[in-house]
Amino acid sequence: MNDISDAEFIMVIGSNTTEQHPLASTRIFEALEKGAELYVVDPRKIRLTDFAHAHAPIEPGTNLPMINAMIHVIIKEGLVDEEFIKNRTENYEEMKKSVEDCTPEWAESISRVKADMIRQFARKYATTDKAMILFTMGVTQQTTGVKSIRALANLAMITGHVGRPSTGINPLRGQNNVQGAGDMGALPDFLPGYQRPEWPETKERFNKVWGDFSCLRGRNIIEMFDLMEEGKMKVAYIVGENPVLSDPDQIHTLKCLEKLPFLVVQDIFLTETAKFADVVLPAGSFLEREGTYTNTDRRVQMIHKVIEPLGDAKPDWEIMTEIMKRIGMDVDYQSPSDIMDEINEATEIYGGISHDRIQEVGIQWPCPDKEHPGTPILHVDEFKRGKGLFTVNDFEFIGDQRSEEYPFLVTTGRVTHQYHTGTMTRKVWTLALEYPEGFVEIHTKDAEELGVKNHQPIRITSARGSIVAPAMVTNRINEKTLFVPFHFAESPANRLTGRNLDPIINIPALKVSAVRIEVE
Amino acid sequence: MSTNKLYTLDRDQLDQVLGLWNEKSTVYVPVGKGKDINLTPLGEGVRTEDYINLTLPVKEMVFEQKEALFSWKRREEGIEVKGLSKQHAKNRILYGIRACDTYGIDYKDRFFQREFPDPNYKSRRPENTIIAVNCLRAGEHCFCTSIGTGVFSTVGYDLSFTPFDSFFLVEVGTIKGQALINDAESFFTETDERLLKDKNDLREAVEESFPLKMDLSNLWDDMAKTFNADFWVDEANACIGCTGCTNVCPTCTCFNVVEEKVDQNEGKRVRYWDSCQSEHFTRNAEYHNPRDAISRVRYRIYDKLKYIEERFGHKGCSGCGRCTDVCPTYISIIDIMRAMRKAATENPEPPAVHQTTEIRHIIKDRELKNRHGLYTPDVATITGIKQETPEIKRIFMKYDDPELHKNYEHKGQFFQLTVFGKGEIPLSIPFGPGQSDELVFDFKDVGSVTDVLFDMKVKDKVGLRGPYGHAYPYNSLKGRNLIFIGSGVAMAPLRTVIEPVIKNTEDFKKIFILGSALRYEKLIYKEEMVEWSKIPNFNVKYAFKDPTDKVDAIQGHVNDLLPDLDVDWSNTTALICASPERIRKVAGDLLDLGLRSKDILVTLETHMRCGAGKCGHCKVGSHYMCVDGPVFNYEEMLALPPEF
Repeated sequence: MNDISDAEFIMVIGSNTTEQHPLASTRIFEALEKGAELYVVDPRKIRLTDFAHAHAPIEPGTNLPMINAMIHVIIKEGLVDEEFIKNRTENYEEMKKSVEDCTPEWAESISRVKADMIRQFARKYATTDKAMILFTMGVTQQTTGVKSIRALANLAMITGHVGRPSTGINPLRGQNNVQGAGDMGALPDFLPGYQRPEWPETKERFNKVWGDFSCLRGRNIIEMFDLMEEGKMKVAYIVGENPVLSDPDQIHTLKCLEKLPFLVVQDIFLTETAKFADVVLPAGSFLEREGTYTNTDRRVQMIHKVIEPLGDAKPDWEIMTEIMKRIGMDVDYQSPSDIMDEINEATEIYGGISHDRIQEVGIQWPCPDKEHPGTPILHVDEFKRGKGLFTVNDFEFIGDQRSEEYPFLVTTGRVTHQYHTGTMTRKVWTLALEYPEGFVEIHTKDAEELGVKNHQPIRITSARGSIVAPAMVTNRINEKTLFVPFHFAESPANRLTGRNLDPIINIPALKVSAVRIEVE
Repeated sequence: MSTNKLYTLDRDQLDQVLGLWNEKSTVYVPVGKGKDINLTPLGEGVRTEDYINLTLPVKEMVFEQKEALFSWKRREEGIEVKGLSKQHAKNRILYGIRACDTYGIDYKDRFFQREFPDPNYKSRRPENTIIAVNCLRAGEHCFCTSIGTGVFSTVGYDLSFTPFDSFFLVEVGTIKGQALINDAESFFTETDERLLKDKNDLREAVEESFPLKMDLSNLWDDMAKTFNADFWVDEANACIGCTGCTNVCPTCTCFNVVEEKVDQNEGKRVRYWDSCQSEHFTRNAEYHNPRDAISRVRYRIYDKLKYIEERFGHKGCSGCGRCTDVCPTYISIIDIMRAMRKAATENPEPPAVHQTTEIRHIIKDRELKNRHGLYTPDVATITGIKQETPEIKRIFMKYDDPELHKNYEHKGQFFQLTVFGKGEIPLSIPFGPGQSDELVFDFKDVGSVTDVLFDMKVKDKVGLRGPYGHAYPYNSLKGRNLIFIGSGVAMAPLRTVIEPVIKNTEDFKKIFILGSALRYEKLIYKEEMVEWSKIPNFNVKYAFKDPTDKVDAIQGHVNDLLPDLDVDWSNTTALICASPERIRKVAGDLLDLGLRSKDILVTLETHMRCGAGKCGHCKVGSHYMCVDGPVFNYEEMLALPPEF
């Protein structure tokens, strides 16, 4: 995180950092104090734009053309880091060819960011030594999510902005431990430590730890709900997730949960999803358990129990251990630190991270052995795969676009005082009071045209469903664009979003849905 | 304090002394590293002497982040309420407090224990003994020497320790402090004032070492000239409303109350620290908020640097710098003071009237004669209900304890009414002093509490606290013409004056009652107004936006009625209850007609919660609407910052 403070140029794309990652944004403010320049790409005038040196008010869903155009400009104007490309990367020529036609004017016609502004972004990024990119779901939750990230990687590699302090492309994680969950294999196609099940050495390694076991690729959440609908998935065990509010196309989600023969939900409160459960397992909150969280910068940090679990609640690891025992597995974990010992054995990246080493300060993985100090920066001398691979990322429209029937695009996100589906924050009166209800941000001009007054309830409808929430009339959002926070069960943004998926990894395009407005 | 005794204590023997004290009380000492220093019970961690300051001010020991105010329980015969103010099991000795925090304690003693004394603070404060340990070095954002609250503790301590190489110089501040010395007599050696010179030299050396030194002699001048300065926009844009600054402030005292229910028949009202930096702090029903992002951020700074001192004579900022340490977006009270200096020098505004005014309200000590303490309501039973308009009801009630009616003094302007389990709202007293055995209120269904109240029935129980606030100055109105101006439900507060005037019409000259609303149906006291119009020197006039055939009315605003009033304006008082915007419009017209601003009386019922000048929600500038108002004259209203 200190790297952010030392950057000279920061491009924030698809991240409302001040409101969603206030501590990361503190580092941006530190950098600004030291004279850094801040460029922001966002369809809304988010708070950071008040401090930014440039703001590209981009059309939702069109990051990729803009990034490709930036690459085009950098190549065209000879601002590439040839040394870096030669020594550290491969496939440059092919990528170069693919962006030949991606002129800023072409990108402007799609993303509505002025061509000159795209040039300004490109030049500034390419010519600043310590230039870093911060991004979040505003980039990934699109049908072009994967391509956009790869394009950002291209951008960083042609300019050599990788593997050095205060450079790189840096995702800010959306939850305190989403990094840790991914590290531990809460992904369909990896075992813990990002080991592919199909690799022979993976099977070998885990056989040593777990004995013989089935090792097949799993399903992601979108696929699982489809299987529920088809009646092929009979049982679901949902831990600490509230898909009724967080997954796209709520009406579909509800239908699937109703159809599912047996549902177990493990959570700290009775969530909207838990109401569908056959069995609810009460879990302890972060205050009631020991363990680790892995932060956005891959730092594995201890959390300590402050109070004993209340009522029937138990820490998640205890509940799962009990279930494993009841289904006949031979497990004997006495504490979270026993589990960490097993993680040490099973993964290389966590190989040397034990609870005693991180009592005071966490360690950043990869940390292969007990002597290893951890790794603050990835890709320093070499990428994981060896040479950095340039990729070709052609833009095509997939999913929702404006139409006569649905003339607005709605993008979703969060507000400062609520967290995710509000399972916790909506129960805290002071936070609940600050943002008691959902809302729809709408541009002043659009509101005037429709005769919508500030705070007036309006109905917005997509091809999937419809919600009602008070309008928040503002000039801090693009015209013909709406913003809805997804925290509120009474006006669930994800009743609007669709299952338009990124074709590569199936991430849903939560940030782009076409809708119409009806004035109630 | 200078006549109190002086002692020395060997530094080596400190732990023994603390151990000895810990036998009767719980001794809290600083534990932790770097910026993470917490007061921790002796023995639960390693005591440290290597710290700049405690992470959180000692405030939380005397004014807890969450405290229960009262409990209630439905029983067959009624509702039982109990004040909950005494809570600590054992006395506490708090060791290692810095000068900025003892200053904070001294201010809180002043704030909480005078006027309407706070029962919770009053019961907890004596259980805490404060031992100051003077600082020998400054943190990055320490500026107590610039403010004048440090660097050595001068107030708010029971004992003060100044560290020398091998011993502490111990000064006794209070009898409580002396008693502690007596408990460990053998460790302390009495000494004389010669050491005070060494202490003074040490203090000067420490002050000299401060990285931050600011000349604040022009501060209030600067503030008057920078109220609307451009830099406030940047500060407001930066603030994300995390409320960290107010949470770590030794002088922040605001709180909000919430209902914690066990079930339908039992619950508690608790208070939590609240923050003026959150948007909801001053938000009223229907999204109306008198403070925007800029005035929110600015208010905290003005309160700390000016309003608190104007009102209570204590510095509102102790110079501890915690708010600056903790802000995730680098809002710094230090930088703001510098920005004020710069803007006031380079680009000054004409001094703002509300920052230079001499108008101050007399602060009176008052105590309520209710049964269970300031924050605990007394139970009353609803005896009658009348539907005034589709949205407005009149509700009659009697205290369950008839004795309480005898205590009723017609001094205040409003009551706090509790719907048990739901919440509390302020309601004006619509009737005059004749209410000897019954209380009557009018209210409009606008929020979650009034929603429930609206559906309540005769024999249902509610809670009452009050009366609070300053009423209209009835006696000084005698011999004058009176114009009552109220729109919709806002006529209710005026009725406290109209009732006694009706009973003593001979004391007054011409009386005008101007009723206005969107529609006739929205007006309250419709029948009464018809009756009043029959009284000889009474004139009742109406203005409605929509036409009506029920009474003789003009179509328009209440302002339109004014020019045609046949009255000697020099001997006239106008009494207005309306929104601040409407008040400004009406008052503007009245001034044009020749009324003096002192003869326009207004009531500003903005966001009152506790009623006693404690919770902070209705504070505007250095005034509390609930205690100083809600009745003001127009001159006083204009002397308030435009944030209500």
